[in-house]
Amino acid sequence: MLNDVTFGQYYPVKSFVHKSDPRIKLLALIAYIVALFLAKNFYSLAICFVVVSIAIIFSRVPLGSVLRSIKAIIVLLIFTAILNLFFHGGEHLLASWGIIKIYREAIIFTVFFVFRLFFLVMGSALLTLTTTPVELTDGIESLLTPLKWIRFPVHELALIMSIALRFIPTLIDETNRIISAQKARGADFESGNIFKRIKAIVPVLIPLLISAFRRAEELGDAMDARCYSGSKNRTKYKKLKLSWRDLIITLLFASLITGVVLLNIYADRIFPEIYEFIRLS
Amino acid sequence: MAEIEENIIKFEKVKFSYPGSENIYALNGVDLTVRKGEFLSVIGHNGSGKSTLARLINGLLEADGGKIEVLGMNVAEGKNSLEIRKHVGIVFQNPDNQMVASIVEDDVAFGPENIGIEREEIGRRIEWALKAVGMEKYRTSTPSRLSGGQKQRIAIAGVLAVKPEILVLDESTAMLDPKGRREVIEVVKRLNQEEGMTVILITHFMEEALLADRTVVMNRGEIVLSGTPEEIFENGDKLEAYNLCLPRITGIINTLNENGMNVKNVLRAEELAVSIAENFKSKGIDRAASPKAEDPAIKSDHEFDIDIKNLSFTYSRKSAFATKALKDIDLHIDEGEFFGIIGHTGSGKSTLIQHLNALIKLPQAEKRYRKKRVKKGQPQPVSPSITIGSYDLTQKKCDFKSLRADVGMVFQYPEYQLFAESVFSDVEFGLKNFKKDLSKEQIEEAVRSSIEMVGLDYNEVKDKSPFDLSGGQKRRVAIAGVIVTRPKILILDEPAAGLDPLGKKEICALLHKLHEEWCRTVIIVSHDMDEIAENCTRAVVVSDGRAVACDTPSNLFSGGASMRALGLDVPLTSVICEELSRFDININCNCTVKDFTDKVLEVYGGKNA
Repeated sequence: MLNDVTFGQYYPVKSFVHKSDPRIKLLALIAYIVALFLAKNFYSLAICFVVVSIAIIFSRVPLGSVLRSIKAIIVLLIFTAILNLFFHGGEHLLASWGIIKIYREAIIFTVFFVFRLFFLVMGSALLTLTTTPVELTDGIESLLTPLKWIRFPVHELALIMSIALRFIPTLIDETNRIISAQKARGADFESGNIFKRIKAIVPVLIPLLISAFRRAEELGDAMDARCYSGSKNRTKYKKLKLSWRDLIITLLFASLITGVVLLNIYADRIFPEIYEFIRLS
Repeated sequence: MAEIEENIIKFEKVKFSYPGSENIYALNGVDLTVRKGEFLSVIGHNGSGKSTLARLINGLLEADGGKIEVLGMNVAEGKNSLEIRKHVGIVFQNPDNQMVASIVEDDVAFGPENIGIEREEIGRRIEWALKAVGMEKYRTSTPSRLSGGQKQRIAIAGVLAVKPEILVLDESTAMLDPKGRREVIEVVKRLNQEEGMTVILITHFMEEALLADRTVVMNRGEIVLSGTPEEIFENGDKLEAYNLCLPRITGIINTLNENGMNVKNVLRAEELAVSIAENFKSKGIDRAASPKAEDPAIKSDHEFDIDIKNLSFTYSRKSAFATKALKDIDLHIDEGEFFGIIGHTGSGKSTLIQHLNALIKLPQAEKRYRKKRVKKGQPQPVSPSITIGSYDLTQKKCDFKSLRADVGMVFQYPEYQLFAESVFSDVEFGLKNFKKDLSKEQIEEAVRSSIEMVGLDYNEVKDKSPFDLSGGQKRRVAIAGVIVTRPKILILDEPAAGLDPLGKKEICALLHKLHEEWCRTVIIVSHDMDEIAENCTRAVVVSDGRAVACDTPSNLFSGGASMRALGLDVPLTSVICEELSRFDININCNCTVKDFTDKVLEVYGGKNA
């Protein structure tokens, strides 16, 4: 039943983007999102698109895999798009049915909004497609290190994430096994109304919880036995290293933000007629 | 080794009880010393205090009384605990529950990181530790993709990377298949011999205990026997009193000696064969052959036969991860058989049995199945078929629900699937699912009889929480929950896995009782060849998704070469027969211990009379 859950969506190839430092990729994603939300017109949005396209090309991930991630938000996207389309105000009325009025500005805004969300998802998908969960955890831990000064338990948080990642495949296997066993005893997970189905999950959930606690206890013992005593005097084997790739990425995204800001200010000077036509409000 | 007489671990009158049961001592006045470089094995039934012993050594548990010294440090003093843990590494039972990271090298690095080793040195230690366990090729692999034996070797490497002087293995082989067990034991032996590491091996497997320099037997929190393995296993009757079994080989020797032979008390099959041959020679027998063993006749009405044809199966067929689990399996199991399925972990055994009660449906029986059009000139593709009695599993209309009631399935470690608040409601779960129109009395009667069938006291356990029972009892309850529908065919995946020797014996006895009284056909999946040889009428060997051989144990195991080529074990009796044939003594037994000793005695006494 859960066979389709391939954990994470990492796409295993070797590429420029795959090899670059996870911290830089995380920061680049943040910069990219900031740029998307700074963008006030289609020109700025366009250079966001150019940058993400370059990243996709150099990641050697097939476009299909990137676009597939849109599926997850498609309902949300359509829903908000429709709301925007029908209820966003404006000056140039194009059509109206009762309370529903469609303005030209609403159409432009909706298109803008849809593209922005679309690019956002593409960018975040690219990060998870090119970075293993383990690398991501390492990256997050490293980026959060400054928070140690305010006694934020960075190391503990990273360890929790790492252990969670480690146990996801194990627990998926276990879930499958328990589901099979209960099915063999006549349990039915596929028919009946929602309440029946929720009730049917109980014989899976309880053994799973019990086993998770048992595992946690054993893991605790094993960690104790391997001299774990918190983050005091602890060293770290894995060290992330920056390379020339990361410099290039940094430059690219720095110029992205600069570009977006400049275009926000000077957009009306580029093809003024077109700009006037697609201007947002 | 004997020159170094330094005592590395010292227990003096150690007492320990678990919180909540203060008056029951898990350890009751244990005295034990372990010398540096020694290989000590600890055996004992479940709950005898073996694991408690291991946890006391490095301070995971604190003793209530007595004194424990490790490397001259008192464990009870808090400031020593980290220092002691650096020197005592423990490997636990379940390899999955000891790993913290998703990449092998990160996991091995965990220990050294904890004690503040420098980066470059950690790198060197990872390399060394992985090499010591023969896993250096897997440095950047993911543990969840490895086999049980490999995972456990990684766990050992993780412990070694801290550079301990003492290695404790707490039933670390219990969950592994024979191949994995061999891998782990070899690593441990090498560490002891080449690196001079002190090893404490806690185990259920008598055969593993034999490898040690010294064996300690525990019973109810006390050390009751201590000595070389040979000395220990001479005390056969005593061991049985401590709820332990003799190694099979010692059992055979005892039977032979009780019946007038004079066989040496040895621990290896080759030596036993030599000794038997010498016995024969001294009687003037230098060439002998016993008649061929007869195959046991099975009474069968053939009403509930299992017939599998052309069964192939591929996991996640359309994805990049597609793996062929089964390839063209043809198999026929008669009603009334006690059938065995043999194979490695990952050979396809589990996939095969899941087809038998349609947990995995044949493609034709899937709702969305459409017949593919065949292009002209191409041969019609063969589609798999399974029939069980009157059930045709290729049909969409097949009544899968009543099939599952008729074909009971007990999964591996079934006790982990218990969920209800009382034993009664857990056992009735299956019955209620399958038969909706039973009266309260009928349900109670069915539950009562199946709980009694598995050898538990109905009135005592029915209202108890299944989680308060002991391990062996839980497994019985889980089996009761399957047989409550009175299935005609009962399939069990590794029914005896993880149990102590006595528990194993009891489960086997239970299966035979079930086979005689309730279920016409019993099918067990096992990688314990002795278990298969002792119990099964026929067995199939599954290797790499194919049914390589299907025959009676005696035919299957005669000339063990083909089994060994598949990386599988051969039962002890057929190893001895093989060795004996070098002395021109041919014993044709059906591979059970009883038949073997009978035949040997027949040949031995026959000439005399």
